[in-house]
Amino acid sequence: MCDRQEQLIGFVYGELDPSESHAFEQHLFACAECRVELEALRTTRAQIAAWTPPEPHLDFQIVRGPVPARPAASRFRVSPAWGLAAAAALVMALGAAIANLEIHVGSDGLVVRTGWNRTAAVETAANGGAQLVDWKQQSQQLDQRLRAIEQALGGNHAGSVQNASASDMTDEQVLQRVREMLAQSETKQQRILAARLGDITREYDAQRRLDLMAIDQGMTRLQNTSGAEVRQYRDFMQRMVRAAAYQQTK
Amino acid sequence: MPSTDEELVARSMGGDLDSFNQLVLRWERPIYALAYRVIGREEDARDVTQETFLRAFRALKGFKGQAKFSSWLYRITLNLCRDWIRREKRTPVAQAPEGVDIIELAGEGTPTDTIEALVARHELGRAVGKAMSMLPEEQRTAIILKEYHGLTFQEIADLLDCPLSTVKTRLYQGLTVLRKQLRDAGVEGHFGK
Repeated sequence: MCDRQEQLIGFVYGELDPSESHAFEQHLFACAECRVELEALRTTRAQIAAWTPPEPHLDFQIVRGPVPARPAASRFRVSPAWGLAAAAALVMALGAAIANLEIHVGSDGLVVRTGWNRTAAVETAANGGAQLVDWKQQSQQLDQRLRAIEQALGGNHAGSVQNASASDMTDEQVLQRVREMLAQSETKQQRILAARLGDITREYDAQRRLDLMAIDQGMTRLQNTSGAEVRQYRDFMQRMVRAAAYQQTK
Repeated sequence: MPSTDEELVARSMGGDLDSFNQLVLRWERPIYALAYRVIGREEDARDVTQETFLRAFRALKGFKGQAKFSSWLYRITLNLCRDWIRREKRTPVAQAPEGVDIIELAGEGTPTDTIEALVARHELGRAVGKAMSMLPEEQRTAIILKEYHGLTFQEIADLLDCPLSTVKTRLYQGLTVLRKQLRDAGVEGHFGK
């Protein structure tokens, strides 16, 4: 076999330049082996041209989808570390406030008082200075606010509900009141349920009557149709009998 | 006059989606044909085709225009096909289309084709597909690019990142193997060696 495979392939595919192509044609005149190989390659090429892919369903298109909304950028970016530090400071502040609270229930009712009943306290300001704070005045103001809140809570409820913190209701009375409220609610629910059941029953009866009427009408139509067919069949048979009798008499 | 690939690419880079979709419309069938012939499966070829255009769209800004746009698409497709073959760890299968009947065959042929000619061509196509699936990937790819997509030797060499002589060798060896496979399958040519 001639070692001219690259030239052969170039010639088969028409990619030899004119001078190379001419030279190879001259070679073919003298080389039967290359002529046979050339024809075989051409035949194979003709055969593989029959291989076609199945008709696809494509019609692809690039589309722009909706851009997912980005959350609004927060002005205050708090890193987890700073967030934890802020939370810790808040807890400490609350703990300090709670530690100073004084709560007791006495003859005058529930009393909430901050423990800052010192007449004065000394704070060291951030700038290194010192200042006096009138803690007593702040405590009194806080007491007044708490009493106002208690009064407001006591006056917002309807007459049927009394402030549980009021001292003129005993436990038994509270329990009795709760039982009365439950009974009222149960009665109300029963009335609503009965009304709903009544509605359902009426709807069922109405639909049942309609269905029965439809069935009755259908049966009537069927009977009429069947009766007509029976009459036709009877008439036909009578005609046949008369025809047969006529034939016999002839 | 229809716009050239270069014009459509330039407009696409400017954000014109319609221009890119015109490129899709122009090249989706050749890309599908390439993918199908390389991997031999319809649905997977369809997926590769879709992925090719998605990747091309995303990477459009990086397309410098040194090669033809079609060559760039072919490269993306071949890479995806190669990934598919490695991922599936199997050789492509010459998958016969499901439910092919005479009516469909008639649609492929010319009006003067007889039924026998249509069937014979269809059977030949199946035999070729099967023979192609037996080829090594490099030879099959070279033949597909040359025979069905008309690329020159140099374009194939650039696409496959191999020397020109390697492309010619792969073509010659591939065609020789195909000839033998088809002969063994009973497909007769003018020279039944």
